[in-house]
Amino acid sequence: MAVPIDVTTGPGGPPDAGATSSGRSIEGRSLGQIAWLRLRRDKVAIGGGVIVVILILVAIIGPHVVANPDVYHSNLVDPTVLRPTGSFGGISIAHPLGVEPQTGRDVLARIVVGTQYSLLIAFLATALSVIIGTFFGIIAGYFGGWVDAVIARTMDVFLAFPLLLFALALANVIPYSAFGLSGNTLKIAVMVFVIGFFAWPYLGRIIRGQTLSLREREFVDAARSLGARGPYILFRELLPNLVAPILVYATLLIPANILFEAALDYLGVGLYVPTPTWGQMLSIAVTNQYWQIDPWYMIMPGLAIFITVMAFNLFGDGLRDALDPKTR
Amino acid sequence: MKRRGTIATATAAALAALVVTACSSGGTSSTTGTGSSGNNTSANFFNKGLTQVMNPSTHKGGTVTYESHAAPDSFDGGNTYYAWVLNFSRLYEMAMFTYKSCPGQCGLTLVPRLATDMGTASADGKTWTFHIQSGVKYENGSTVTASDVKYAIERTYDRSVMANGPTYYQAILTDPTYPGPYKDKSPNKMGLTAIDVPNATTLVFHLQAAFPDLPYVLAFPSTAPVPPASDTGANYQLHPLATGPYKFQTYQLNKQLTLVPNTAWSASTDPQAKQLASKIVMNLNVNQANVDNLLLTNQAQVDAAGVGVGPAAQAKIETNSTYKANAVNPINGFARFVYIDTKVAPFTNLHCREAVEYAANKTTLQDAWGGPIAGGQIASTVNPPNIIGFSKFDLYNALSQPNGDVSDAKTQLQQCGQPNGFSTTMGYRNDNPQETAAATALQASLQQVGIKLTLKGFAGGTYYTSFCGDPAYVHSHSLGLCAGGWGADWPDGYGFLDELSNGNAIASTGNTNIEELNDSVINNLFAKANTETGAARTAIWAQVDHQIMADAGILPEVYQKSLIYVPTSATNVFVQTYYGMLDYLAIGASSGS
Amino acid sequence: MIFFIIRRLFMTVFLLLVVSLVTFAIFFLVPRLAGQTAYQLAAQYVGKNPIPSEIKTVETKLGLNAPIWLQYGRYIKGIILGTHYNAGPDVSYCPFPCFGYSFRNQQPVWPQLISDAPVTISLAIGAGVLWLIGGVAIGVLSALRKGSFFDRFSMGMALAGVSLPIFFTGLLALTLFSYKWQIFPNVHFVSFTANPVQWAKNLVLPWIVLAFQYAALYARITRAGMLETMGEDYIRTARAKGLPERRVIVKHGLRSTLTPIVTIFGMDLGLLLGGAILTETVFSMQGLGYFTFLAIQNQDLPEIMGVVLLASFFIIIANLVVDILYTIIDPRVRI
Repeated sequence: MAVPIDVTTGPGGPPDAGATSSGRSIEGRSLGQIAWLRLRRDKVAIGGGVIVVILILVAIIGPHVVANPDVYHSNLVDPTVLRPTGSFGGISIAHPLGVEPQTGRDVLARIVVGTQYSLLIAFLATALSVIIGTFFGIIAGYFGGWVDAVIARTMDVFLAFPLLLFALALANVIPYSAFGLSGNTLKIAVMVFVIGFFAWPYLGRIIRGQTLSLREREFVDAARSLGARGPYILFRELLPNLVAPILVYATLLIPANILFEAALDYLGVGLYVPTPTWGQMLSIAVTNQYWQIDPWYMIMPGLAIFITVMAFNLFGDGLRDALDPKTR
Repeated sequence: MKRRGTIATATAAALAALVVTACSSGGTSSTTGTGSSGNNTSANFFNKGLTQVMNPSTHKGGTVTYESHAAPDSFDGGNTYYAWVLNFSRLYEMAMFTYKSCPGQCGLTLVPRLATDMGTASADGKTWTFHIQSGVKYENGSTVTASDVKYAIERTYDRSVMANGPTYYQAILTDPTYPGPYKDKSPNKMGLTAIDVPNATTLVFHLQAAFPDLPYVLAFPSTAPVPPASDTGANYQLHPLATGPYKFQTYQLNKQLTLVPNTAWSASTDPQAKQLASKIVMNLNVNQANVDNLLLTNQAQVDAAGVGVGPAAQAKIETNSTYKANAVNPINGFARFVYIDTKVAPFTNLHCREAVEYAANKTTLQDAWGGPIAGGQIASTVNPPNIIGFSKFDLYNALSQPNGDVSDAKTQLQQCGQPNGFSTTMGYRNDNPQETAAATALQASLQQVGIKLTLKGFAGGTYYTSFCGDPAYVHSHSLGLCAGGWGADWPDGYGFLDELSNGNAIASTGNTNIEELNDSVINNLFAKANTETGAARTAIWAQVDHQIMADAGILPEVYQKSLIYVPTSATNVFVQTYYGMLDYLAIGASSGS
Repeated sequence: MIFFIIRRLFMTVFLLLVVSLVTFAIFFLVPRLAGQTAYQLAAQYVGKNPIPSEIKTVETKLGLNAPIWLQYGRYIKGIILGTHYNAGPDVSYCPFPCFGYSFRNQQPVWPQLISDAPVTISLAIGAGVLWLIGGVAIGVLSALRKGSFFDRFSMGMALAGVSLPIFFTGLLALTLFSYKWQIFPNVHFVSFTANPVQWAKNLVLPWIVLAFQYAALYARITRAGMLETMGEDYIRTARAKGLPERRVIVKHGLRSTLTPIVTIFGMDLGLLLGGAILTETVFSMQGLGYFTFLAIQNQDLPEIMGVVLLASFFIIIANLVVDILYTIIDPRVRI
């Protein structure tokens, strides 16, 4: 499964001081300010960002506001055909996105609760990837030599793993309770681990490349001549300059993780029933062939995934363009 | 970036595509089906196949195509336990007995096939003598002898090679520790002392105790003869030597099987079978939606799995009278239920168990299994209606209050000392979507009286060996409820109820008496049944059923039904009542040579 | 060059060992860490209706109570030297590479993998050709016509392509083109040797669905790369020299853009060869991906392990090929 991160371009180092406006005293703009200005002008990226914020809000507040996603309404379902009796999948005031075939559960509620799980797992997994990837990427890029060789080889090993297969296998072998956790908590932990742990090299390689180019710069020499040692240079000089690519690629990693988590759910190794997740709803739509008798039930979670992933991609793209002077 | 301004356009285009899809395929379209076009002379109507033959024809030739969404556990008669394979294998293997090939109740009758008669039991019932026909030949022309039948039975004793089939022989016959012919040191590999072969057409069985149902056990394809010299063990499934009307031409494992007529077969030795089609093809592991489509468009003749069409095709059939006339909706003999473990607290108390019986919402359970047509009938007894000995009763208002009887449930909760409900865990198979849906539905309905169910899913493959079928695991994980289902191995009450409720059926793995009932009333009834015959014996099954329900050991959900579609290109189609699906011995093609 | 290849081959073997170690750990170590007993583990290696003594026998035969490193050694030895297994009257020998014996299907794993491989290979290579050519072409054209309607529309579609899960687009495609409009009824795999026309016809829908997702990604990458390259000085020089525009684009511009694309293509193709699980399950094509899916559903551990090893092998080989190609395409890369 390809991680849709465009690996070629990346933001360069800190740009030179920016242009001035009329009359006021000339002061250099920091990278952040320049990026923010550029970002503000990019309407589409802002649009994506707004949707991201809305989704996060929905994930946090939504489950408390919507109806109970587990309640059955068999009166809203035609018993012989198991299709919702209302049109468009049973849309009504009480059920704005319709109801699920066969069970009559509210689709809006299930999608909202699904948002929570999707975002949670994706964020956590991305954080894991970022932490591990940044750590090893910086060390490999800065120290070079055999340290770099070992870490680079390790990254190659990781990239040789068929990610989805391992995720499937691992999620399958873990029983209901293990390592002190059980049920959905355990499943979430396993999924975060699998998605985040096996994907850190994608970020690690980029960070390593960035570090390699950054360490030749004068400010590193300057710090060293002032007596700074390895860890200080790594974490006080290099890291702040890496924030930009980290941020960009983290934002672009999140939608990939959302898709990956949806794929795991779709293949049946996701969270336990009756927990609603988007991938699971699509999986139910397939195995029970609802997509032929009530396509709306398939379209809703598909759209949810699409909008979420698209929003993150747009925002991430915009962020990257804002931070990189070359790509216009 | 301006280029991304066209995102809106792209998204709109995508949305438009979605709307087109949804609007057009979401409604009820009564398109004219391809139903009655063709060579069909008699009219069909819904459920005709339950009592009559659909598309009767004597046309010989043509290809009958079977499609199946799964693969068999094995095409080797000695190593299979799937109902459809038991049905299908009769095309190429002749077992000692078979079920009569006729629609309606007459399909429950056992008749001899390789055997010459129903066998003779000694006075104490512990010795049975059977004779087999003398003129039956294998596909290669050699003659079937009684020792081949003994060898076939012996093979099933080696569970390391033949792991899938039932274990009745070990339980019923003497010499249960026979290691199987592959480890047999005796010459000719005839070391099983439980069966004697005095001559080439006689078999003498020695039983541990009287067992009137022995002929039913011998209807399993494990009695289809296997010549020892041709046995290739686990690879025998690739080409079993045929004694039936058809033989293997090619078999790509789990992909496609082709059968052609067996020239060594003779109809006079096998009146139940027919040799009409000149080719039978079965495609395995085909997507169920594809299978249904092929049937509805007359490109294939039979869905081999025999459990009916998927929900999408069901909707099409229900709303189209032409399709509906070609459909049949039998009870397939499978019952779905939930075991309530009598040894796991708080279900050690009868009233707590009865609370579950009352509270369960049968309608949502029925919907979970597929609704009243393709799912099943709401059940109030353990025995389904196609079992000899079925009697209808309803102790917990399952039929009168199908949405659950909350008030009575609450009363029972009071009586068992848990007025506000309690928590327990339920095991189920999470790779079975309907069982998952049913467990979820039960969770929702029990919630209403305060019983909180935690659902624990297990993979189907190890469900009975390591989880719900392992009492130690059940106890240590407090699985108060376990989902389950049962199909009768033979259509009388013993075949259905014994493994489910006999105290001595509780096993440490692969346990089927999951509610761990050890009720002396039930145990004694089973003991008594082995000494009775006829109507007296049949009456006992109703009593056992009643006692299980009175003990509230099992919560019945549905008697499963299947919605089977019969394309007009298939001839001589009817429901074989024991198998609960079409009779594969009879089906032919309507055209072709 | 030779030394490079030899070094990489050693690396390949090393990587395979590591993958086998991790696979083994997942299936034999993790369940034990998570609390399963050897008996429960053994229950997953027997047929469908086993008796307790049978499970015990398997537990001993597989040595599930031996120390972990010993089990791993035995496992590797089994793959390389082959194993014997009891199939009935004779003892059968499963030669190298012996990925084990599936107790559920009662067949060795490797022949099953071989028979499923053509499906996945047909799917992967066909889609790969489509998306490489399509994606790169669209990316190049978009970069050259930057800002035009074509550019904006194709980049928009590309963004949509990477944002839609493939099992969703696959379902949409099936609904519209297979069930509603019957353009491709009964999508299933037909062997190339049996009927090439039907083989291609039935693969069109899965190819397009698969290629759509990847082409989107490749178009984006190509476009970004081309934009960066076309702004370089040497492009201006080439144009100033009077070279035809097409030569400038293809020989100078595209050449350097291609290197990262080749890398990614190699990795993606390698991954797909190991089994396009999602596409195959949606279209019910019985390739390695569907095999994996069924094996996981049936908890058939030998089959899962076999296919995971095979998939890793494809990825590693693909990476090796890519590295070799790199040296050919980009003269700056020194081995």
